[in-house]
Amino acid sequence: MASATDTPPGVVLPPPITERGGVGWAYANLFSTWYNTVLTFIYAALLGVALWFGLSWIVLEADWKVIATLGGRLIIGQYNTEFACPGQNCFWRPQASLLLVSVLLGMAWAVSGDKAAKRIAIGVAAITVAFAFLPYSMDQMGLDVRLLLVANLPAVAAGWVLARYTPLGTVRWIVILGVLFFLVILVLVGGLPGVPGLQPVSTIYWGGLMLNLLLAVTGITLSLPIGIALALGRRSSLPLVKLLCVVFIEVMRGMPLITLLFMSQVLVPLAFPQDFSTNSLFRAGVILTLFSSAYMAENIRGGLQALHPGQVEAARALGLAGWQTTLLISLPQAIRNVIPAIVGQFISLFKDTLLVYIIGMLDVVEFSRAFIQGNAKYLASARELFLFLALVFWIFTYTMSYVSRRVEAHLRVGHR
Amino acid sequence: MAASESTIDTSDMIVCRDVHKWYGNFHALRGVTTTVRKREVVVVVGPSGSGKSTFIRTINRLEEHQRGDIIVDGIELSNDVRNIDAIRRDVGMVFQSFNLFPHLTAMDNITLAPMKVRKLPARQAEEIAEQLLERVGIAEQASKYPGQLSGGQQQRVAIARALAMQPKIMLFDEPTSALDPEMIKEVLDVMRELAESGMTMVVVSHEIGFTREVADRVLMFDHGQIIEESATEEFFDNPKEDRTKLFLSQILA
Repeated sequence: MASATDTPPGVVLPPPITERGGVGWAYANLFSTWYNTVLTFIYAALLGVALWFGLSWIVLEADWKVIATLGGRLIIGQYNTEFACPGQNCFWRPQASLLLVSVLLGMAWAVSGDKAAKRIAIGVAAITVAFAFLPYSMDQMGLDVRLLLVANLPAVAAGWVLARYTPLGTVRWIVILGVLFFLVILVLVGGLPGVPGLQPVSTIYWGGLMLNLLLAVTGITLSLPIGIALALGRRSSLPLVKLLCVVFIEVMRGMPLITLLFMSQVLVPLAFPQDFSTNSLFRAGVILTLFSSAYMAENIRGGLQALHPGQVEAARALGLAGWQTTLLISLPQAIRNVIPAIVGQFISLFKDTLLVYIIGMLDVVEFSRAFIQGNAKYLASARELFLFLALVFWIFTYTMSYVSRRVEAHLRVGHR
Repeated sequence: MAASESTIDTSDMIVCRDVHKWYGNFHALRGVTTTVRKREVVVVVGPSGSGKSTFIRTINRLEEHQRGDIIVDGIELSNDVRNIDAIRRDVGMVFQSFNLFPHLTAMDNITLAPMKVRKLPARQAEEIAEQLLERVGIAEQASKYPGQLSGGQQQRVAIARALAMQPKIMLFDEPTSALDPEMIKEVLDVMRELAESGMTMVVVSHEIGFTREVADRVLMFDHGQIIEESATEEFFDNPKEDRTKLFLSQILA
C-alpha cells in the first residue's frame, strides 16, 4: 500500500504557501493566473487615480469652512434662533439631552459584557469633548456650550459608576431609565409653559440632526413591538385579526413613504382638530413608525416561519400554553434569526428620516440645502457640506450594524 | 357511553378504541384499538409510513384523530383545551430530532416547563433538573447550550426535560434514529433504566436488542393498522402474520 510519497504517521506538514501570511494571500488571491494579475494591476491603477484626485481635493482644494460656520446649527437646525426661542439661549436644552444619553451609554458600558458598549460610550465622550476644544472664537461657541460639551465625559463616567455601584445596574433599569429619559428629553427640548428657562419651542423649529435622531429613536423603539404584534396577528387563527393585519401591512408596504407623509400632511388635517393636525413632528413620527412596523412585521414573520415545527411541538408536548410557547420559544428564536433584517430596517428607517422635508421639516440635510441656497457665499461649498453629512450618516449606520454584529455574536453562543 | 367507560380498569393508562386519522384524503390510521396498562413498556414497530409515529403523536394530541376514542389516564382526548393541557402535563414525549430549545441551556430547557406550567419556584425546579441530569449521566453539561452537546447528550437532556414534569407516561418517537451508532447505547441505557423504574412507556423503535430486553409487548403497524400484537418473546420467536415475518427478516438481516 505505502508508496514513497505517503506521509509517515505522526508527521505534521507545514501548510502550502497559499495558506501563509500576506505574500501567500496575495499570491492566492491577486496573482494566481495571468489574467488575475492583469486585473489586479488595472484595479490598482484605478484605485490610485481615484485616491490621488480624491485626497488632493479633500486636502488641498476643499473649503471646509462651511461646516464650521454652520457648527451647532447642523445639530439643532433653527431651534436656537430668535423666532424659535425669543429672548433666551436655548442651546443648553439639546445639550442637556445629550448628557442624559451619555449617562445611559455609561450605564450600558458597565452592564454590558461586550466591548461595543464601551467603545460607543468612549467614542461619544471623546467626540463631544473634542468639539469643545475646536478653535472657534468665543462669540461663535460660548463658554457655556463648551462646558456642556465637556460635561459628556463626566456624564459617561457617572452612568458607569451608577450602574456599577448601585442597584440600577441592570438591563431592566437601563430600559426603564431610557424610556424615562426619552420623555424628559421631549420635555427639555419642547419646553414647559410657565417654567422659567423652559419656554416652549414649537416643533416647527425642531430640526437638524436632533430631528433625525428623535424620529429614528422613536421609530426604532416603537416599530419593533408593533411589528411583532402585527406578525403574530398575521399568523393568528382568528380571521378578522388576520385580515386587519394583512391589510395594514400590505397597504403600508404598497405605498412609498413620501406618499404616506404627503397624505398625512394633506388629509389628516381634514379629519382632526387643528392643534393636533398642525404638529408635523407628531405626524412624521407616527407615519415613520407605522411604515417601519409593516416591514418589521414581515421580517419577524419570516423568522417565525423559519422555525422548525418541532420547537412548537416540543413546547406544547411539555404542557406550555400557546401564548407561553410564542413568548418563550418561538419569538426569542425568530427574532435572533432575523437580527440582520431587523437592523437593516432600523438603518433604513434612520436614513428615511430625512424624507420629512416633504412635510416642511428642516432635518439636517434639508437644513443644509436651505442654508446653501440662501447664502450665495457658500454656494460653492455644497460638495464639502454634503460629503460631511454623508460621513455623519455613515457613522451612525455603521455603529448600528456594528452593534448588531456584536449582539449576533453573543446570541450565537452554542448555536449550530 | 357510561357502560363502556365502566369497563376501563384504573390501571389502564392509555385506551385507544377504533382510532382513525386522515391527512386530507390519505387514511393514516385505520381503526387502531389497543390498551397500554400501567408500568407496561410497549414497543411499536412497522415499516416507514405505516402510521406508527402518527399513532404515538395522537396520544398527546400533537395529531388530532377524527374518529374513535383515546382515553389517557382516565381523561378523554377531545377538543376541550383543558383536557389536552391536563394530558400533556402528564405525558412526556421524546422526539427523533430531540427538539431541544437551542436558545436555552440544558438546565433552562429542563426547568422551563416545571416553572411555567407547574409553577415550581426556580430553586426547586433546578434541584429536580440537577437530579435528572445526574440520572441521565450528564450532570456536568448543565450550563451548555444544545448546540454544544453531542446528539446522544442532547437526547438525554430531552429525556430529562420530559421527566422534569414528572409524567405518568413517556412516549418515545424513534429516539435513536437520528443518532450516530456509538451514541445509541447511551440513550438506550437511560431508557432501560427508566423502564426498570416502572415508567409506563410507548416506544417507536427499530432497536431489536432493546425491544427484546425491555418491552412487555410489541405492536406491529402496517398501512395504519395494528396487524399483530403480542408479548415480546412470542412476537420475535413465533410471529403469526406473513407481513411481520417479512419485516422481521428484513430488520434482523
